[in-house]
Amino acid sequence: MPMPVTQTAHRITSRALTWLHSNREHSTLPPGTTAELAEPDSVYKPLGETALAASLVLREAVAGSTELRLARELLDFSWEQLGAGAMLHERLLRYPMMSDPLETYTHFARSGYRHEGLDRLLAHTTSLRSARAVEVMPNRRLAIANAARVGGFDQGDRAADWAALTRATWLGALPEPWLIDWMTAYHMTHTVFHLTDWGRVPADLPVELAAYLTDWLPAWIDIWAEIAEWDLVAELMIVGSSLPDPLCDPADWERLARLQHEDGLMPRDGHPVAGDAGERFAAHHHTTVVAAVAGTLAVSRTLGTRR
Amino acid sequence: MSQDRSRTTYQESAAGLARRALGALHGAGGTAMVAEHVESERDPGAALAAIRILGADVLAPAVLAGTAFHPLDAEAVALSFTALPPSREEPLPPPTGPEEPWLMAWRDWGTVTLLTVLTSGDTARTGVPRPTSPPAGVAAPRDGTGWADWSVRMGRLSALALPGLESPVHDAARGAPLALARGATRAVLRRDYPTAARIVRWLAWLHADGVELPLDPAPLVEHIGLMAGGDRLALDTAIARRLIDV
Repeated sequence: MPMPVTQTAHRITSRALTWLHSNREHSTLPPGTTAELAEPDSVYKPLGETALAASLVLREAVAGSTELRLARELLDFSWEQLGAGAMLHERLLRYPMMSDPLETYTHFARSGYRHEGLDRLLAHTTSLRSARAVEVMPNRRLAIANAARVGGFDQGDRAADWAALTRATWLGALPEPWLIDWMTAYHMTHTVFHLTDWGRVPADLPVELAAYLTDWLPAWIDIWAEIAEWDLVAELMIVGSSLPDPLCDPADWERLARLQHEDGLMPRDGHPVAGDAGERFAAHHHTTVVAAVAGTLAVSRTLGTRR
Repeated sequence: MSQDRSRTTYQESAAGLARRALGALHGAGGTAMVAEHVESERDPGAALAAIRILGADVLAPAVLAGTAFHPLDAEAVALSFTALPPSREEPLPPPTGPEEPWLMAWRDWGTVTLLTVLTSGDTARTGVPRPTSPPAGVAAPRDGTGWADWSVRMGRLSALALPGLESPVHDAARGAPLALARGATRAVLRRDYPTAARIVRWLAWLHADGVELPLDPAPLVEHIGLMAGGDRLALDTAIARRLIDV
């Protein structure tokens, strides 16, 4: 019975990885880029997001040999762009309170890429009370906690108080499901991503949160699919695959497959996909990463890889 | 075009009757508000059609607020059935048959059944039609899909969500509180407040029936009532509040 979702999800991942691979040059850092990164979101974030998708493909190991090769090459490419970690190291030296070097590094560390100097520096910065006191949104605090967990920087008394961090989020309050808005929905998806380390530990989702999400995810997927918010819909589908009892509606997967372009691009919303290759990359890279992650986790969960 | 106009006239008359019912529910209306509605309306046909459109909701003040049910109101409701006789054919439930005649048959069943309760079965004196056996019901969604359309359809039967009525539709509601809660959630998020108000009637009814719900209906009813206007919506939310407070 779950086979159709498994096949559809696999095909989505495969095509998304192909697109990320054949368009990887668009995430090349411009010449002369330094660790200062005046615009980190435009030049540096896509590298980390590609690395996230690729690292999960390798971690779940449910793809074919072609997909595993593409994932490995994407990680190699992105790691090389970041100077094999030197850029992240420099950025953390320049901004020791910033969490993005750790959060980006995590996706590589997940797949065995390490930078010795960065490891030493992160062991120091993550040990400071400052690292926990930085004023950020509750779901962002979970992102940092998960990055530290995956990177191995949460040992001993540095372990995060996951229960307290979870309670502080929107989702932790089990709010009225009929008052969620677009931005809050993104906060919610990220709360689940980090709590479960992108579907690795579904059981880490507190029981009452899992029950709440099982109740309301179908309603949220319905309303955001109606207005063609495909990026958010795909993120909600990742949440579905991260539940202890995964929620993978075949109709949702067929719709996502129909939306995906032949070359693997996943459109972020209902607007026409326009512009040259660079503009398309800028607009749809994130959604294509999300599709690769969603597909990977759905394949893994429908095959029963995780409990 | 003339059909559109009569449709508008019926809806306007139904809104006026909903206003009267709301007033009666709050204890501010006249004693025979249905009869008064028919008398005051320039187009008696529209006034009688309005009774059928609102269905059992015209009886809600008597059921929920305990206000005395006036014999003139019973006569007015009975007149709406003789003036506009229901189809003799048993409509098939959707999707086998068209939805509208099936919904109408259910609304009529609810009106007649509740009227019989309120007149203590004294149908001969008031000319109230005899209750027929209920039309065929539709099963509640079971496998996690189909909840959206089903909840909208249940919303269109919201006039049945009143104490004193029991049918396969009520059993279906008892069997699918999550589908109804998702439907109400979806309608609010789509800002379709009239639909939300109708579906939330079922949640309120389930709450009064002692069924455990996946969400608290009280703030949801309050939210819908504050976010949107309209006479029908005001009546729906007022009835829902009453059911929750019981």
